[in-house]
Amino acid sequence: MTTARAAALILAKELRLEFRTRELLNATVIFSLIVVVLFSFAFEPTAAESRRYGPGLLWIAFLFAGSLMLHPSFAREHTNGTLEALRMAPITSFSILLGKMLANFVFLSLAEIVVVPVFSVLYNVSLAGVVGRLILVLVLGTLGLVITGTVFSAVSAHARMRELLLPILLLPILAPLLIAAVEATASLLTDEPSHYGTWVAFLAGFDVVFMTVSWLLCDYLVEE
Amino acid sequence: MKNFQNLFLAWIVVWAVFFVYEVSVARRIAHLRDEIERLKRQLREG
Amino acid sequence: MKLRLAGTIAAALLIIFGGYAALFIAPEERTMHEIQRIFYFHLASWITSFTAFFIAFVANVAYLATRRAKWDWLGVAGAEVGVACCTIGLITGPLWARPVWGIWWTWDARLTTTFILWLLYISYLLLRGLIEDPQRRATLSAIYGVFAFLDVPLVYMANRLWRTQHPQPVILGGSGSGLDPMMGKVLLVCVIASFGVMVLVFLDRYRLEQLRYEFEELRQEVESRTVESQSISEKGRT
Repeated sequence: MTTARAAALILAKELRLEFRTRELLNATVIFSLIVVVLFSFAFEPTAAESRRYGPGLLWIAFLFAGSLMLHPSFAREHTNGTLEALRMAPITSFSILLGKMLANFVFLSLAEIVVVPVFSVLYNVSLAGVVGRLILVLVLGTLGLVITGTVFSAVSAHARMRELLLPILLLPILAPLLIAAVEATASLLTDEPSHYGTWVAFLAGFDVVFMTVSWLLCDYLVEE
Repeated sequence: MKNFQNLFLAWIVVWAVFFVYEVSVARRIAHLRDEIERLKRQLREG
Repeated sequence: MKLRLAGTIAAALLIIFGGYAALFIAPEERTMHEIQRIFYFHLASWITSFTAFFIAFVANVAYLATRRAKWDWLGVAGAEVGVACCTIGLITGPLWARPVWGIWWTWDARLTTTFILWLLYISYLLLRGLIEDPQRRATLSAIYGVFAFLDVPLVYMANRLWRTQHPQPVILGGSGSGLDPMMGKVLLVCVIASFGVMVLVFLDRYRLEQLRYEFEELRQEVESRTVESQSISEKGRT
């Protein structure tokens, strides 16, 4: 079975599993909304300030939500002992990883689709004219998040305190992604000189680097 | 000079970090050495 | 045992000599006077820290490639020594900055990257502490170590790009610009002294991990012997 087909099957399995109960999805959306609301207490959200701080808060919300909801990715398999079954199947370990990455990407994206418009409304930040470019930033940023997050979910699945460990491992690694995503988003929403292209290129580079490293190390992640 | 105070503090910090770390490693080495001897004796007698 | 004692004394002497050189032999700096002398151990700590982390990275890759336990020992030794040196750097830096520039800290590219580097390897050590099985611990921490090290240049680049767009007062202006030759010599002495100390501590930490491994193997052997003799005596009874 080719890697692509196996990954697609795993993606389908993950989606089916999650959409049965939708608990993780709901929790992610609610948590992101809570963070977005909480930030309104941290500063007086005038229009100008919302445009300045908004991107930062948005991406921090996604980072936190992501690092909380990524852990079940491998932890569930670990608890239920289904990882052995996956390992024995005639598929490459990269396809397992890829399938889960894509599933996490879908979940996080669904949460973003809800949160971004809500943010736009609550903080009076107009997204007119920048939707397409914003989507590109969201896609590249989320991709980086789920690539590293899924790998670290596999790493922390075998450790104690894995719910807390995953954010601890993940967030420092994602610092460059946070900077790039926030700056790219800010360049779309504020009037400051735009470096959109630079930051988007950086995000793409980040994704490529860590996808490559994940591919190189995938066998060690899924092994016994 | 106030500056000298900071300089001295920095010096102390360098010393302290090295010392504390080295001592902790040395103690653990000594402890493990004893434990290993103990186990080896156990294997010989058992 | 004696060798270790000799090594520790050698390390202590190196620190003392380096310190003496920094404090009394080096000429006084024009604008900053005494406080500038921190620079000698501050820069040295950063160089040793990065070397230790680099060695840890190489060890992590080597472990994943070969699965030989000694690379795991090298990896954890490198990470711990690196964190220790990085801690020294992160403490001596603000101690220097406060009297000279009036601020403890600033979020420029170099400092931010150093802080994140410190956090990354602290997380590495935390991860190791939370995994019981030695082989899994070695494999998973090696994977994380590779990710962490490769992330560092990205952190630096992102911060540089960001900060040049929002220019900040350049305060860490080239410390090496126009360095008095005597200062250069003292710096070299301090760097060599730091390296000497780092190597000695590194070797000790490596030895500690090696002993732990030996201890584990012996313990398992004792356990299996106990189980064996128990089952034999049970069979004897029936």
